[in-house]
Amino acid sequence: MKVNDNCVGCGQCATFCKLDAIVVNAKAKMSEKCIECGICIAYCPVKAIEG
Amino acid sequence: MKAIIIGSGLGGLLSAASLSNSGYEVEVFERLPINGGRFTNIPYHGFQLSTGALHMIPHGPTGPLANLLEEIGADVEIVRIKPSAVIRIPRKKGDTNYSFGHKDILFEDFKTQFSLINRLKLIFYAISTRKNQPNEGSFADWCTKHIDQDWTNRIADSFFGWALSLRAADVPVEEGFEIIEKLYRHGGSGVPMGGCKGVIDALIDVVVRNGGSIHTSSEVTKILSDNGKATGVLVDDMEHKADLIISDIGHPFTAMMLDDDTAKTEIDRYSNIAKKLKPSAGVKICLTSDKPLIGHGGVLLTPYARRVNGINEVTNIDPSLAPPGKHLTMAHQCVEWKNIDHLEEEIDLGLKDLEEIFSGKEYEVLLVQSYSDGWPVNRSASGTDLKNITPIKGLYVVGDGAKGKGGIEVEGVALGVKDALQDILK
Ligand SMILES: Cc1cc2nc3c(=O)[nH]c(=O)nc-3n(C[C@H](O)[C@H](O)[C@H](O)COP(=O)(O)OP(=O)(O)OC[C@H]3O[C@@H](n4cnc5c(N)ncnc54)[C@H](O)[C@@H]3O)c2cc1C
Repeated sequence: MKVNDNCVGCGQCATFCKLDAIVVNAKAKMSEKCIECGICIAYCPVKAIEG
Repeated sequence: MKAIIIGSGLGGLLSAASLSNSGYEVEVFERLPINGGRFTNIPYHGFQLSTGALHMIPHGPTGPLANLLEEIGADVEIVRIKPSAVIRIPRKKGDTNYSFGHKDILFEDFKTQFSLINRLKLIFYAISTRKNQPNEGSFADWCTKHIDQDWTNRIADSFFGWALSLRAADVPVEEGFEIIEKLYRHGGSGVPMGGCKGVIDALIDVVVRNGGSIHTSSEVTKILSDNGKATGVLVDDMEHKADLIISDIGHPFTAMMLDDDTAKTEIDRYSNIAKKLKPSAGVKICLTSDKPLIGHGGVLLTPYARRVNGINEVTNIDPSLAPPGKHLTMAHQCVEWKNIDHLEEEIDLGLKDLEEIFSGKEYEVLLVQSYSDGWPVNRSASGTDLKNITPIKGLYVVGDGAKGKGGIEVEGVALGVKDALQDILK
């Protein structure tokens, strides 16, 4: 998953990630736990996550 | 008559519920898989965190939002908090931070921190400004000119940082005084039982009960109009017709979805004005602890912190917002526009503040959430809101980019919705 410049760091993606694979501090960042399932894409309110 | 609502945030759902009560056939389209926008719960490790708001309604059960919810027939319990706010000051007079201890005073007693002469001035201004509201410059300018003391700036920044996510220097003085007036009239904050989602669910119930429908994961990509009059929207390349369109996504995004040759000049002018609106930015830090960090449901204002403006612990009102035996505490800090590009430093300063504010207490940071630009604290900084109308007939904008005057956050959303409905239903 790639996070683009739209990300404001609201953390919504992290709370919906089933694997706790997103770390948020001002911006979202996927950790090595990410399996690219893409669930987070739909929950991002600013279209900041790309597959 | 058919109404389409773009976005199921608080403003969208308040409008949808009201219109469905008035006999409109209502259809709501929401881009995300969940409803509620920035005012709903997100379950996280057993806690009810939120998409935005701090589970607080600024004027509690007697404010504009509570009144509108009652009018609509939405079944929400809003519990007024006592004390509504407490101010943390350094233990020793003259200290300018909390590192050598602190004490808490009731919000009503903020006057005691002024010099004698300023206390007298305050009594005078409390009366005279209610009669003649100042209307030039910022709230901070007014304070410096009339009650010039370090404390004035600190308490104003802390209060407006908490309530509006703005520095007092960014609050127009007229709006600042209107907010104080509304505090006198409606009283302090309250917590909706079940958190923000309690309000959202109750509104959805009304819409559904009235036969309306709400579609999630459905993005509106275009607003259709003919001869300057709204006719429908485009969702997944499908046309949906309507007599009335309510947009809950703010003026700038609404303007971007318009395309009507017959109203081109007006739309261009509208787009340019909308583009100038500045959304307010902020950071929310969610903490958890076994023992309460605050111990009551009111706001803890922190005028001597570097960044944190205020903190609440909603589990003292509604324990179901955290797993049994745990507390949920949320700190809010305003982020000045010039600091949006240095968010990590802003967050670090906020975390340092919390270490000092809760020194000697044990807690864990659950999540740090920041808000700006396209997903802000408010789509337009308080006091700069545009009205609900647009250059397209039958298209209205609601939500926190079109708040009513003097309305703090969701109170402003409710006032704006009321204004729009009055125009629509007249
Ligand atoms: C950190 C923080 C703390 C806050 N604390 C408080 C508080 O304690 N008390 C308080 O009163 N207020 C608080 N607020 C403010 C409050 O949350 C907001 O003012 C309010 O939720 C805004 O509601 P809205 O209806 O304007 O918009 P939104 O909630 O933004 O709703 C708009 C909806 O439209 C959807 N949408 C966007 N584009 C499209 C499209 N093209 N098609 C379909 N749908 C679309 C979005 O996904 C969203 O769901 C806080 C805000 C933040 C960020």
